[in-house]
Amino acid sequence: MTNQIVAIGVILLFVIGATVVGMIPGIRQKMTLEQWAVGGRDFGRLLNWFILAGEIYTAFAFLGGSGWAYARGGPTFYILGYCTLAYVVGYYVLPAMSPMGRRHGLMTQPDLVEHLYESRSLGILTACVGVTFLLPYLQLQLTGLGLIIETCSYGLITRVPAMLMAFTMVAAFVYLSGLKGVATTAAIKDVVMILAVAFFGIYLPIHFFGSVGGMFTALDAAKPGFLTVPGGTKNLDVSWMMSTLVLTSLGFYMWPHLTGNSFSAKNPDVLRHNAVYLPLYQICMLFPMLVGFTALLIIVPALKTPDMAFMALVRQVLPGWALGLVGGAGALACMIPAADLILTTSMLFTRNIFCRTVGRDTTPQFQAKLARVVVLILTVIALALAIYLPNMLVNLLLTGYSGVTQFFPMIVLGLFWKSSTKIASFAGLIVGEFIVFYLILNKLDPLAIWGLHLNAGFVALVVNMAVFVIVSLATRTPAGIERKARAIDGMSSSPAASTTVGTH
Amino acid sequence: MNAIKVVLTLIPFIWIIGMVPVVNRVRPIVLGLPFLAFWLVAGIPVTFFCIWGLYNIDSKRNRDS
Repeated sequence: MTNQIVAIGVILLFVIGATVVGMIPGIRQKMTLEQWAVGGRDFGRLLNWFILAGEIYTAFAFLGGSGWAYARGGPTFYILGYCTLAYVVGYYVLPAMSPMGRRHGLMTQPDLVEHLYESRSLGILTACVGVTFLLPYLQLQLTGLGLIIETCSYGLITRVPAMLMAFTMVAAFVYLSGLKGVATTAAIKDVVMILAVAFFGIYLPIHFFGSVGGMFTALDAAKPGFLTVPGGTKNLDVSWMMSTLVLTSLGFYMWPHLTGNSFSAKNPDVLRHNAVYLPLYQICMLFPMLVGFTALLIIVPALKTPDMAFMALVRQVLPGWALGLVGGAGALACMIPAADLILTTSMLFTRNIFCRTVGRDTTPQFQAKLARVVVLILTVIALALAIYLPNMLVNLLLTGYSGVTQFFPMIVLGLFWKSSTKIASFAGLIVGEFIVFYLILNKLDPLAIWGLHLNAGFVALVVNMAVFVIVSLATRTPAGIERKARAIDGMSSSPAASTTVGTH
Repeated sequence: MNAIKVVLTLIPFIWIIGMVPVVNRVRPIVLGLPFLAFWLVAGIPVTFFCIWGLYNIDSKRNRDS
């Protein structure tokens, strides 16, 4: 009984503590839309770090990282590689986006697209695609949260009350504080998560095997080849790993919420500086894997749900406070990214869909109020889906990364290549998404072709890129190139350039 | 963008993606990690230094301009 009380106490401490911290910025000041959505664009290195780094360590990092290690072995190691490479991409892309955002009042990813291509319809399409992939990602955090709290409270707090409680709190601090709330709570989450995963990731293998190397030697002896690729799977081989690394490293910053987050930076130097140090944070991804591998050797009989590996092992071996720590850290790992996703989805819907179509004549004040209300509505919808239709969005989630990466040609080439055109963007995006959905819904991910196993999103991206380049070259005009140059370099002499996004 | 920047940008990709076929093995176990895992983890400081190099080149250019 005491185990349970301690565990629940620790979890509640973290969850409520973070919520309170998250609400403070919103209570202290009345925020404009810009302060709410992009933190007033004055985040220095530290806050920017937490908001970018924090978004990576989600439910997936916690549950999926160890779950994959437990079930699949070697292929899991792709997780160690893709974020690292994403930061190289980010080093170039983010400092290009952020000043553009400041100069033209951009707050969201569709704002950026609309600015680069002077196309409201392309912006709306981008927003719709973005919402389509954010919703299941949001719902995943929620479902993960329910599982974590239920397991770590020894079943005393079941999933539905856990989800209701946690998400109400998330809605509260997002409503009040917007991005500043997300950033401050991310700081807490990151510290707690690093301490928790590092502690367990090192302690558990040593406890059972004397050292991390000892654990791996034992695992290799028990399951030869498990620790390489394809490891415990049939088709996640070397070509899968390489194509998946390409896809996920390019697609990383294509998630809508990360564009919004980067607009909060005080200046491009903040983003460049953090790009240098963010890779080091990656090492933390190793720790959940170590726990998953250890669990594979220790937990008998085998788990039905690999995602439970981390929690199951801790629960088996350590007392209530330890499980509470895992539960608290895990809960935060779900809540904070969920907050960012809710904020972003609300902005996409309010600003880039509603206010660009039906609500074209609304004032900025109305937009700010509406965005906050939409936060509450979205929370209710996400909760309803998670409770009543938990499997409905699984397919969308699987397509998630592959889906958002299709933005890559449009956004990255759009930022740097003056010949990129609007028509090419439509063409590439539509072709890319079509291929993604076709392959994944027909269970062709990875695609087995020419003796290789290629990540479906990677295939789509290659085709998308080819289409984009060819169509751009075919549809570019001298006037278009000049307009694009102005959009990129920010020298807007024409009045038309400033009325579209900046004043809303 | 000069040649050094291109090289620094490519090195992490070659290390982490390009070398996978070669480093896909368990032995030798380095720092307690199976070799594939070790190689990818080693890619982290390699990338750190490359981006740090890029940052220094760009800072110097901004200072001089």
